[in-house]
Amino acid sequence: MYESQHFEKYNLINGVWDEMYNENHTVRDHYQKVISYLGQESADDLSKKEELAKRLFMSQGITFTVYNSGEGIEKIFPFDIIPRIITAAEWDFVERGIKQRLTALNHFLKDIYHNQFIIKDGVVPIDIVYSCPHFLREMYQLNVPYDVYVHIAGIDLIRDYDGTFYVLEDNLRTPSGVSYMLENREITKRLFPDLLPQCGVRSVTEYPSILYKNLMSLSPRQVGNPTIVLLSPGIYNSAYFEHTTLARLMGVELVEGRDLVVNDHRVYMKTTTGLQQVDVIYRRVDDEYLDPLVFNPNSVLGVAGLMGAYRKGNVAIVNAIGNGVADDKATYIYVPDMIRYYLNEEPLLKNVPTHRLSNPDEREHVFKNIDKMVVKKTNESGGYGMLMGHAASQEEIEKYKLEILKDPRNFIAQPTISLSAAPCFIQGALQPRRIDLRPYALCGPDGIEIVPGGLTRVALTEGSLVVNSSQGGGSKDTWVLS
Amino acid sequence: MLSRVAASFYWLSRYIERSDGILRMLKINYASSQDTADGFSWEPVLRIFSGRDEELITRLNNDSRAVLKYMVLDRDNPNSILNIITLARENARSVQEHIPKDLWQCLNEYYHTVKDPKIAAGLRKDDPFGTLDVLIKQVMLYYGTAEITMERGQARSFMNIGKYLERAIQSIDILDVKFGPLNSNPDLLTDITYWKHLLMSIGGYELYQKTYRDGLEAENVLEQVILNNDFPRSAIYSVNNIQRYFDRLKNNSNVTTYREISFHIGKLQSNIKYSSVKSIGQVGLHQFLTGLKDDLYKIGNSLNEYYFANS
Repeated sequence: MYESQHFEKYNLINGVWDEMYNENHTVRDHYQKVISYLGQESADDLSKKEELAKRLFMSQGITFTVYNSGEGIEKIFPFDIIPRIITAAEWDFVERGIKQRLTALNHFLKDIYHNQFIIKDGVVPIDIVYSCPHFLREMYQLNVPYDVYVHIAGIDLIRDYDGTFYVLEDNLRTPSGVSYMLENREITKRLFPDLLPQCGVRSVTEYPSILYKNLMSLSPRQVGNPTIVLLSPGIYNSAYFEHTTLARLMGVELVEGRDLVVNDHRVYMKTTTGLQQVDVIYRRVDDEYLDPLVFNPNSVLGVAGLMGAYRKGNVAIVNAIGNGVADDKATYIYVPDMIRYYLNEEPLLKNVPTHRLSNPDEREHVFKNIDKMVVKKTNESGGYGMLMGHAASQEEIEKYKLEILKDPRNFIAQPTISLSAAPCFIQGALQPRRIDLRPYALCGPDGIEIVPGGLTRVALTEGSLVVNSSQGGGSKDTWVLS
Repeated sequence: MLSRVAASFYWLSRYIERSDGILRMLKINYASSQDTADGFSWEPVLRIFSGRDEELITRLNNDSRAVLKYMVLDRDNPNSILNIITLARENARSVQEHIPKDLWQCLNEYYHTVKDPKIAAGLRKDDPFGTLDVLIKQVMLYYGTAEITMERGQARSFMNIGKYLERAIQSIDILDVKFGPLNSNPDLLTDITYWKHLLMSIGGYELYQKTYRDGLEAENVLEQVILNNDFPRSAIYSVNNIQRYFDRLKNNSNVTTYREISFHIGKLQSNIKYSSVKSIGQVGLHQFLTGLKDDLYKIGNSLNEYYFANS
C-alpha cells in the first residue's frame, strides 16, 4: 500500500483532508507522477536536495534579517522541497471564487467611500464600518482610476476535513510573499529537473509583467514612459528582499520615503539630475505611515503631502489607501452578503463561520465553547494576538477573556478549522503537515488576473495549525496542473 | 539615477577604499614593529584613524596586538574594519537591484570573513600577517569583481569618484602625520627605515627605488606621494581620476551644478600639477596639505549637496 520507503512514517491525520492520499489510503491521481519520481530517490538524495535548496536561498541572499542586540542575523524562510499540487478543476473553482469575491470587495470599497448604499440598505451595519480604524475619512468622495481599489490581493484559503475551500482572510492592503511564489519555483527547477514539464505544471513567471502592465495603465499623465516606483520602508524591513526582487523583475525604481518629495501637489523623486515626476507608486508601506501630515505625524517612512497629491489625482497609489475597512475581520463576516448584494450571485468560496464578540449572545456561545474556537483580533495579522482554544491553558483563556470584555469590537471567534495536510520532507521521511494557500490576484482596467499558483504556507511543527512565518511556518512551491 | 542610490555607490566605494588603506597600513606597521628594538610607536596610525583621542593613543601606543584588535574588530571604533565593511554592505544592500550579483556576493563574503572567529584569533595570538593578508585579498577580490562586472555608467563613475577622493585624503593624511614630527625631531630626516615604512604602507617603495637611485630622502618621498602621476596612490593621480570620472557625468547632470564642481576639481588639479617640492616648501608643507584636504572636502560636500540631495 505504501508507495515507497519515504512513506513508512506517513500517518494520515484523522478528520483532516490529505492533499495526497484519499480516504482509502491510495495516492490521488494528480500526485502519482511526483510520488513515483520521489520513489526513485533515496532519503539521502532528498536530504541533499534539501541542503541544496538551503544553500541556494542563502547565497542568493533570499533572506530576512532578524535584528538582535544591534547585530543582524540572516535567516532563510524555511522551504519544504515537496511541491503542493492543485488540480485544474480545483484551480478553476478557486479562480472563479476569488474573482467573484474580489469584484464584490472592490464594489464595496467604492460604495463605502461614496454613497454608502450598502449601509443605507441595511446589509452591512454602520457601526462595523465606522468603528474600523482603517476606515479613512480622507478617502471619502475620492475617485480612484478605473474604480479599482484592490490592485493586488492575497486571499488566504484553507480546506476543511472534506476538502471544501474556505476563505480565511482577505488581504487587501499590502499582501506580501509573492516573491517566494516566484523564487520557490526557480528553486524547484533546480531540485527536480524536467519534472515540471512532465507533470504539466503551469508557469507563474508572468506575474511581474502583468503587475507592470497594470501599474503603467494607472498613470495620471498621458506620457509614453510614466515613472513607476516601488516605495519600500528600507533595508531594515523584513520583506526588503521581496521589494528588491519585484523592482528588479519589473524594472522600476525602488525608492524610500526620503527619496520622494511633494511640490505643488505633485510627487517627485530626487535624482542626480534634479527632480523627476512620479506617476505611479506601488507602495509597501502601510496607510498610517504614508503621509505624516495626514496620518501618523512621527512617520519618516512616508512623504509629506502625498495624500494631497493623491486626492488631486496627480499620482496613483497601489493598493488604494483605506482598503483596511474591507479586510477587517469584522467586515469579513459580511462579504458573502456583499456578493449577493452587489453581484446578485451566490458566493462560490465559503466564509468560515464567524462570531462577533460585540454581540452578547454570540459572546456567550463562544465563551461556552472556547475549546473549539479560535479567537482573533480584528486588526492584527501575521498570527499575532490569537488564542487557539484547543491548545490554550485555562489561565491563558481567562486572561484573554478579560481582554475581550474590555473591547469586544476588536475580537471575532471562529470554530477551529482543521486545515488540510500535505506531505513534507522532514527528518528524512515524508510526513503530513498542515497547509494553506495564498493565490495572488491582480486587478487592472482589463479585469482580474490570477497567475496559476500562489504561496502555500505550511506549519512545520507537528500538530500545529499556525502557518505564519513569524510563528515557525515555512513554504512550498505550489503547482497548478494544466 | 536616484540621488540616494548615487550616494550609496559613492559611500560604498569610499568605505572599501578606506578598509584597503587601513589594512595595508596595519600590515606594514606591524612588520616595522617587529623591526624596532626600542618600542614601536603606533601613534601616527592611531592619530589618522582614531579621531585624535589622546587618552586612547597613549593607552594603545606600544601594544601592537591591542591596536590590531582596535583597528580591525572593535565595534566602538567607528573606523574599525568591521564597522566600515558593515556600512559598505548596508549601502550595497540598499542598491542591490543596481549592482551585479557577483559584486554583492563578494561584499557579503568580505563581511562574513571579517566576522569569522579565525580572524579574531589570528590577530590575538596567531599570525597577524596571514590574517591581514586574508582580508586584503577580500578587498582585491572586490576590486577585481567590480572592474569586470560593473556596467560602465553613472553608478561606476560615482563609485570611482568616491574611491579616489578617499584615496587622496588618505595619502595626504599619511604625509601630514609622518612629516609632522620632523620639526621637533630633525634626525628623522635621515632615518631610512622611517621613510621606507611610509612608502611601503602605501605600496610605493618599489616605484621609489626605480625612480630615485640615490637612497631615501624626505623630499623625494614627498614628490612621489604628491606629484608622481605614475604612482597610483599619489595625490595627483587620485585627483586626475576624480576629474576623469566626474567628466563622465556631464551628460547626466544639471549644467550649472556640473560646472561648479568641475571648476573646483580643475582648480585643485592645477594647484597640485603646478606645484613643486620647492614651492610646497615655500608655502609650508602642513599648510599645503591642509589646503588640499579642504579642497577635497569641498568637492565631497558639493557632491553631497547637488547630486545626493542632502543639502
